[in-house]
Formats: sequence, C-alpha cells, structure tokens
Amino acid sequence: MDFGIQNQTDEQQQANKEPSNQNGNEGNKKQTGCCAFLTIEFYTPYFNVTETDVLQRIQGTFLPLRPDFLNLIRGNPDLWGPIWINATLIFMITAIANLRQIDEEKENQSFVISYVPQATALLYIIAFGTPIVLAAVMKFLGVDLSFFQTICLYGYSMSTLLPITILCYFQNELFLWLIIAYGFANSSLFLIINLKEELDKLQIQKKYIIIGIVVTMQLSLYLFYKLVFFSYVKE
Amino acid sequence: MEFEVQDNQANNSIQGVINLQPQVNQVQAQQQEIPIKQTDLQVSSTLEESVAVTLLRDLRQIGVKLRCVLVPTMSSNNAKELRNWDLWGPLVFCLMLALTLSLSGNNDDGPGIFATIFVLIWVGSFVVTLNAQLLGGKVSFFQSVCVLGYCVFPINLGALFTLFFSFFYLKMFLVIGCFLWSTYSAVGFMKQLIPEQKRILALYPVILFYLFLSWFALIV
Repeated sequence: MDFGIQNQTDEQQQANKEPSNQNGNEGNKKQTGCCAFLTIEFYTPYFNVTETDVLQRIQGTFLPLRPDFLNLIRGNPDLWGPIWINATLIFMITAIANLRQIDEEKENQSFVISYVPQATALLYIIAFGTPIVLAAVMKFLGVDLSFFQTICLYGYSMSTLLPITILCYFQNELFLWLIIAYGFANSSLFLIINLKEELDKLQIQKKYIIIGIVVTMQLSLYLFYKLVFFSYVKE
Repeated sequence: MEFEVQDNQANNSIQGVINLQPQVNQVQAQQQEIPIKQTDLQVSSTLEESVAVTLLRDLRQIGVKLRCVLVPTMSSNNAKELRNWDLWGPLVFCLMLALTLSLSGNNDDGPGIFATIFVLIWVGSFVVTLNAQLLGGKVSFFQSVCVLGYCVFPINLGALFTLFFSFFYLKMFLVIGCFLWSTYSAVGFMKQLIPEQKRILALYPVILFYLFLSWFALIV
C-alpha cells in the first residue's frame, strides 16, 4: 500500500512538472523525471516475457557461435532472467558445495554459511556491475551502449554456470578445471559475439579495451568459482 | 529563594499548560463532539489494559491468520482476513526459524546463520513480491509479504523436527513435506493475482524461496 502512495506522488510531481509530455506518452509506458528509475513503472516494460521466451533465451546461450540470442531479445530485453538465474545459482552453489562437504566428513560435518553472501555479492556484482562499467567506458569512448540489452546479455550468460555447478559435485580435480575452462570459453565467446554489433562502432584499439574488460571479469568469476566454492577436495 | 521562585515559575508554567489543554479540547469538542469522545474512549481502553491482554490479543490474531493461510480453503472469510495484513507473524516465525537453525548442533557459525536466515527471509519476501508486481500482478505489497512470511511456519516445524530426529531419510521426508505444504499455500494465494501467461515466472521465485529455506532446515 505504501508503494501505491509513493507512485501517486511521483505521478503528481511529474504531472505538475511536464504537463505537455503526458499527452505525448503512449499509455505512460516510460516515465520521465529525475527519479523515474526508482518507480516500479520504469521497470515494468522489461518484464514483458513469458516462460517460453525465457527458456528459448537460455537455450540460445549454450551455443554461442550461432547468433540467435540477439534476435531473441531484439527490442524486448528482460530483467527477469538476470535476477532469477543468479538467484538460482546462489541456491545451487550453496547446496552443492555443502553436499560435497557432507559426503566427505561423516563425523565432523560443519556447514559453511559464508557461501551465501559471497555468492550473492560475486554474481550480482558481475551480472549488474560489469554492464554499468562497460556503459561508462563506452560512453567515455564516445559510443552509446544500449544499457538494458547489455544487462540482459550478462544475466543470461550466467546460465552457462547452471550445468557447471551441478557437475562440480564430482570430486575429480582435473574434471573440475576442464569444465570451468569450458564455461569460461563459452560465456566469453557468447558475450563478445553478441557485443560485436556495438563494438563495431569503435576503432580497433578501443575494441580491445572492451574485450579486455569482458574477458577479465569472466576470468575472475570462474576463478573465484573454482578456488573458493569448489576447492575442497578429498586428499 | 531562587529555587522557590523557579519552582513557582515551574508550577506556573505547568499550570499554564494544564489550563490550556481543556480550552483546546473545548474548542475541538465544539466543532466535532461525538467522534472525539468515542476515539478518546477507545484509546484509553487499549492503553489501560494489561500487557498480557495486549500480547494475547496479538497472538490470537496471529493464530487466526495462520489458520487462514495454512488451511487453504479459498473462502471469502479467508480473503477478508488476509486483507488486514500485519508483519508481526512473519517476524515471529522468522526469528523462530533463525534461532532454531543457529542454535542447532553441527555448525560453528551460529550468528552468521542467524543473520543469513533473517536477511534471506525479509529480502527474499520483498524481492518475490516486487517480482510479482513487476510482472503485472495486482498484488498489494505488504499483504504479499505478510502471506509469504506466514507460509514460513511449516518450514519452522520442519526445522524443529530435524532437531529431534537423526535418521537422515526421515528428516528429508519431513522437510520435503513441509516444503510442499508451504509452497502450496503461498502459490494458492499468489496464483489468482497474476495474469495467465506469466504465471510460472511469478511462481518460480516463490518455489525457489521456500526451497532455499527448506534446504537450510534440512542440512544445518
């Protein structure tokens, strides 16, 4: 109910500030004003997907060399995927990391709770922070980056980690490094191929800055994954 | 002498305040006599009752709402009852769950577990409700947080059961039962408020939320 009241005062302020724009907007689809990003209506257009859409987009991330994904999200990037894929990942990391520990030490089972805040911070910073950094850098280099499309891209690139987390249950060290490397290659390729359209507007040297940022963040994500969450292996 | 003077001044000022109030009341009473007298009576009646009576009344309201939420019989009385949302019930169940899990034997980070569960329940409820609102559901914010909080109660029961039993498969069976009960109640409430084609997108976070909590109840 409080949110309802807040929305009304925002609308009243905007009605007082810009009366002429209200007639131009179609059905109040996008709100203007300095604090528009704090209202719910600002984000509602980005939740305009159904479950089949979401599943298709997730499938599009597994084969990065086919440029299906951009066609799937063109004009309709969504925020549901990034938020809830990362939430699912947090749950799976906690579950599988603790399952590994339980199987190994029957007498002395200790439960590590610190994975939850660590995983939350890691995943959400990389999924939402890197697009912000990229948008800032691109703006500095003179090109505009479609912000919500990049957030959508990054969020769905995390879906590579879903099967990898399940497979990390196995104890074989070499196997873990192999699938982590595969995940890193897959998601980096996916991101670079789908950002290619935006990157082509830059010069060659500046492209490498962006590619460098993307690859570094993915590398840090996968290394953190392996070294912190799934490093405990039976000797 | 000074003290007396000050006292007299203090007395005068206090008397001045006391004398002013009846004048104000008289002015207000002249404007609207009957409503002020009624609210004065109601306020004084709940202020004068004992603490035990207040607490029992709140506990009884929590119990009534708990029965409405957890025995999913879609009657109109239920709907009316749920519209008077309160956050005491969710707070009580959240604290009980966090305490149970942080005090149980096989962990070495009790405060960390308490903090994580507490934050998880509240932030989780807020985010799940926001998600339902953003998907176009006509769901009142605090009412939804209230229902999600009340549906944590079966997981509370599951956590208490796992304290007493040690056979793993029995614990798993009980916790799965509690998870299904919570999810069925919460989904029954949220389902009617979301448009048809986005229903799974709104219900999956609810399932994930209770799955996460049940996992903690089982493993810790």
